[in-house]
Amino acid sequence: MPGMPFSGYVLLSAVLFVAGLVGVLVRRSPLAALMSIELMWGAATLLFVAASRHLAAMGGHVFAFLIVVVGAAEAAIGLALIVLIFRGRDGADVDEVRSLRG
Amino acid sequence: MEITFWLLVGIPVLPLLGAAATAALRRRASRGMLAAIACSAVALAFACTVAALIRFGQAGGEGVLHAPLWSWGVAGVGLGLIGDSISIWFSLVVTGVGLLIHIYAAGYMADDPDYGRFFAKLNYFIFAMSLLVLADGFVGMLMGWANVGLASYLLIGFWNRRPAAAAAAKKAFWVNTVGEVGLILAMLILLTSSGSLRFADVLPQAGLLPPEVLNAAALLLLVGAVAKSAQLPLFVWLPDAMQGPTPVSALIHAATMVTAGVYLVVRAFPLFEAAPWGMPAVALVGVASAVFGAVAAMGQNDIKRILAYSTMSQVGYMMLAAGVGAYAAALFHFMTHAFFKALLFLGAGLVIHHFHGEQDVRRMGGLGRESPFVYWTFLIGTLALVGAPPLAGFFSKDEIVVELLAGGHTALWVLAVAAAGLTAFYMLRLFCLVFAGNPYRVDASDRGPAEAAAAAEHDAHSAGVPAVQAVPVLLLTILSIAGGWLWVPGLTHVPEAFFEPALARYGSPAPVHAGPVQAKEWTMGALLLVSAAGAAWAVKLFGKSRRADATGGAFARAAEAGFGFDAAYRAAFVEPLRALAGYAGRVMDPQVVDGAVNGIARLAGTAALALGRLHGGFVRRYALVLVTGVTAVLIYFLMAV
Repeated sequence: MPGMPFSGYVLLSAVLFVAGLVGVLVRRSPLAALMSIELMWGAATLLFVAASRHLAAMGGHVFAFLIVVVGAAEAAIGLALIVLIFRGRDGADVDEVRSLRG
Repeated sequence: MEITFWLLVGIPVLPLLGAAATAALRRRASRGMLAAIACSAVALAFACTVAALIRFGQAGGEGVLHAPLWSWGVAGVGLGLIGDSISIWFSLVVTGVGLLIHIYAAGYMADDPDYGRFFAKLNYFIFAMSLLVLADGFVGMLMGWANVGLASYLLIGFWNRRPAAAAAAKKAFWVNTVGEVGLILAMLILLTSSGSLRFADVLPQAGLLPPEVLNAAALLLLVGAVAKSAQLPLFVWLPDAMQGPTPVSALIHAATMVTAGVYLVVRAFPLFEAAPWGMPAVALVGVASAVFGAVAAMGQNDIKRILAYSTMSQVGYMMLAAGVGAYAAALFHFMTHAFFKALLFLGAGLVIHHFHGEQDVRRMGGLGRESPFVYWTFLIGTLALVGAPPLAGFFSKDEIVVELLAGGHTALWVLAVAAAGLTAFYMLRLFCLVFAGNPYRVDASDRGPAEAAAAAEHDAHSAGVPAVQAVPVLLLTILSIAGGWLWVPGLTHVPEAFFEPALARYGSPAPVHAGPVQAKEWTMGALLLVSAAGAAWAVKLFGKSRRADATGGAFARAAEAGFGFDAAYRAAFVEPLRALAGYAGRVMDPQVVDGAVNGIARLAGTAALALGRLHGGFVRRYALVLVTGVTAVLIYFLMAV
């Protein structure tokens, strides 16, 4: 099956990464921000796997698995933090958490 | 060679070890132990000096014992010890009289809570003074010079809870600092002009230097000598230094340290002789101080201040002798003066103890009947100072005054004889007020209850003088009698023969005898006549009645105030310095120093507030900044590639 050229993967990965980045910057809901971060993880993982096949080296696959594991852990910790921070509050808005203001 | 080295090194180092030991043990060891350590350290130093004298004698009395210690790389700048006749002579008196005064102090200070501190400082003084007289160059001498100044400061201010003692200590230190500046400047001149600071290098070539350099060096050295020896016009610290304990006054401010100026002039005499103004300046300072000190002593009422001005006057005689080239006579008078002045001060300590700390001679009297021991020893000291034959002061003073007439200095001779008359007057006045008449009784109403109780208690057990104090006084009495017999005209001439090689080494010309042939007879007659007249006048005025002030109130007030010298120095130096310090405290410190410190603090605070605004707690802005930064780094590296 004639696969996509490597540059296509790179482009797709870049699109996904930028979409996640914009999501982190503009969404005020912490859940949305967390999901956007997951999107960025996904973009990075995609690039690793694509590059691994393109270069016929297995290192990228190893990193892909590693990222999946770390991403899962990050999601778990992030969700726990969000639950803790917003338990006593009305809404869930990232901008309202400003107790570290200098 | 080896033994000589260790003997010379031992003289200053043993008292230094004693000082360290007493200082370290002052809270743990018993009083007897502390006194034993201190006294044995000085006794060992004295033994070393005697042994060095014996070796010096074995070497024919001509050579010089030398112990080089180290050199600081610069040629001629280093430290070493020499034992020639001058330094051994000084060292004998310093350690010998020092030992006697240490023993006396063991009894005198017995009630003082700071016994160990006292002996540590006293031992430290002996170290510094030995270093001063044994050093083989100006560098080592300056080290000793500065250290005796510090020891003097520490001991004048020994009773450091008394404001007067603390002020006197500071005054002495300041005035001596003036002298040290003069000494250091003279050393710099000598180092740049002759390339060395060792006596053996500098002194023989003194005549080769240009006269203006010699004048500057000699006069600056004289400034140092004048400050240390309490001569006009830098004597103001000496009367105040009597705030120290009496053994300190005896050791430092009468017998040894104040003669350091005489030592300096005699040691560096080739310089003073080569400098056109050198010898006249020394003689002038000496005669002025001899007369001024004697006049001032007539008007004092504090027993120790009388003796202090007397010391100034007698050191003036030594300076005068050095200034006319009679070095052996100056050194001889230094030794006899150390004996009888130490005796007088130790006797004054007994007198003060007897009168329960009273130092005003107008409030004393009748001690002659109550304590014959003090009476007789003090009488011997007084007569030795006045110059009654055959006591020590007679021969040494005579030797100086004879040289004046023999050298043709008639004006100086007249002044010196007149000062001897004044000496007899003030000493007999002191003696009569203390020992003659009836005991002074303070009215009960004048005396507080505590004071009266202390006096009563003291009376109960002040029957006699403790042996530890009596023995040194007795030995000094013997020395004050017999010390002068070393140089009896026509019979013995020990000092002259002893110093002749040391003086001849630098080519000191024999004293010129330009005066009348009967100089000896004239001088002896004049001295005896004038002294007897002064003494008789004093006895007539004070022998029976208690008229303390015979010369009019204005004179007494002026004498008490040191004839305006203190006021003049206060106006010229102390007040401007105070004003400068006040200005610095009021303006410089709060505005310039604090202003700089506060300004830096305010700058840091303002910067922190400005930077703190970046931390708004706005998480998405942090993210944006992060992204922007990473993007910028990426772009930078991509552009670089």
